[in-house]
Amino acid sequence: MHRCQGVAAACPTVVTMGSTATAYLTGFGRYLPGDPVDNDGIAARLGGDDPVTERIRRRVLDANGIRQRHYALDEHGEPTELNEELAVKALRAALDDRGIDAADLRMLACATTMGDVLVPGFASMVHGRLGGGPMQLLSAGGVCASSLAALDAAASKIRLGDHPRAAVVGSELASRSLRQRRFDGIRAGMDSHFLRWMLSDGAGAVILEFQPHPSRPSLRLDWVRHVSLAHEHDVCMRSGMAGAEPSVGHTWQDVEIADAEAAGMFVLRQDVSMLDELAEAGLRQFEELVDIGLVDVTNLDHVVCHYSTNVFRDLAFDGLRRRIPTLDTDRWFSNLETRGNTGSASIFIALEEAWRTGRFAPGETVLLAVPESGRFSFAFAHLTVVAPSDQQGAPT
Amino acid sequence: MTTSTPAAPADLAPADPGTLADRLAEVWIELEERLERVPVLSRLADGTVTIHDYERLLFNLRQQVVDGSPWISRAASNFDIDHFTLRAAAIRHAEEEHRDYLMLERDYVAIGGSLAELRSGRKNLGSEALSGYMFHYADRPNPVGLLGAMFIIEGLGAKRAAGWAARFQEVLGLADNQVHFMQYHQQADSEHTGDLEAILTSGIIDDAAADEIVRCAQVVARLYALQLEELDR
Repeated sequence: MHRCQGVAAACPTVVTMGSTATAYLTGFGRYLPGDPVDNDGIAARLGGDDPVTERIRRRVLDANGIRQRHYALDEHGEPTELNEELAVKALRAALDDRGIDAADLRMLACATTMGDVLVPGFASMVHGRLGGGPMQLLSAGGVCASSLAALDAAASKIRLGDHPRAAVVGSELASRSLRQRRFDGIRAGMDSHFLRWMLSDGAGAVILEFQPHPSRPSLRLDWVRHVSLAHEHDVCMRSGMAGAEPSVGHTWQDVEIADAEAAGMFVLRQDVSMLDELAEAGLRQFEELVDIGLVDVTNLDHVVCHYSTNVFRDLAFDGLRRRIPTLDTDRWFSNLETRGNTGSASIFIALEEAWRTGRFAPGETVLLAVPESGRFSFAFAHLTVVAPSDQQGAPT
Repeated sequence: MTTSTPAAPADLAPADPGTLADRLAEVWIELEERLERVPVLSRLADGTVTIHDYERLLFNLRQQVVDGSPWISRAASNFDIDHFTLRAAAIRHAEEEHRDYLMLERDYVAIGGSLAELRSGRKNLGSEALSGYMFHYADRPNPVGLLGAMFIIEGLGAKRAAGWAARFQEVLGLADNQVHFMQYHQQADSEHTGDLEAILTSGIIDDAAADEIVRCAQVVARLYALQLEELDR
């Protein structure tokens, strides 16, 4: 399974300069706070039970196809946990799944859209709560694709041989900013309703190692590719500014907090008119991966795709099937409808479920796809299922 | 398997049947045959070696490697002024090697080992014997025979370590960052064996010294292999 088989055996004194290790995903965990909340249970937590809001909510829910989700809010809409707690619970689940402790980690890469506090970084807070020993940290900011940015960074350090084990977590607690108090007296159009009835809470984590799991299959991380097209696109998803362009002296940090709130700067908004363009750009990125040979469509067994709404499921599925005619719904996985859209946590929550429910077999390949509307970022990762080391033939 | 005759006890006779280089080459061949039978090295050769094997090998080597510079330094202090060339070579060599164990420790940590455990480890049976013998020999006045020890230890570094590193990398998928110690020794020890050859062929080695060198090489070869055979014992 390793590269350059037989070379060193033939010439024992050859020095393999520039060799890197391989990163394997060996443990998977997720945490979804509280009981699942169905579509009728949303208003009790997030508010917005006036007839107009009610009508908009039904319309958004019909379109996004989400049937249940989780909130770190009690039935009165009061927070029950911190974002960092969601992250730590997902990490503990992943560590337990692998059978190791936090003390075995040398790096922790955390992705989130918004941590609980402004300072310090999210990863510092997660590490503080998780415990373990000294380790390298990364707080990957951004939106959905920050998940794979964190994965890429941790995997790179594993490949370099700098760290034997790392953990990656994506965690979101969006619900508290989706509650009615944020919307009272604020002009809230489709740009905020779309996200308000779509986003929910949760965390997903993976363990990365330089060796495959000793006794169970692992997912070998073949590559991660993360591309931003912000150079040619305006802001699509935003918070903290008025309008789509930040301007000097007018961000939430410049004006009085009360004024920022009154101006609706703390509402998470998305320019829904740009989403078709986002989907097209994402498909072009996928096409490019095929064109340059990173994705071999004749040898791609599974696609785990993050998308915000079922409208894009159909768009993405059809787009991929143009290049992969054999792609059917059995090889396409998403748990958006039952776990909700949890932003940067989504891809790990989906991967964990696909893995745990036995969808993947040794030798099969998996493509992770995460479009990010923020300002047009696209992240992909390619994985191969490998058998445990004790079931592999010896390299010769 | 080769069919060459192992070094005979006749080597002890003062009459030198061959050149010093031939006699050392014979010791080397015997060592290589023995190394082929060392369990961890035969697993390495046939590709069944595990990451645990590599970790234990580093752990065991480290406990003796930290003694390397001290015995060379001790030997340096026991060369009188008539052996100035050897004293100078030993001082230089000790200085060059005295930080090598740090490289090994970084490799060990890079594959997931605990530095605290590594540093609190003890020598295995073979390392005890090897280290004890080296310090004992270094205590003698003008311990010229230690050139035979250098021949074996530096030879392993120059001729074998990088091959082991490459094979560990190939079988276990290790990064360069995890095999520094073994990779580095190919270059460093090639320089040292070059220095050693210059001394051995410089004419300062008489017949009695040559016998001492060969005998020391035989003992060190056997004890080094013992160190690799007795991992964690």
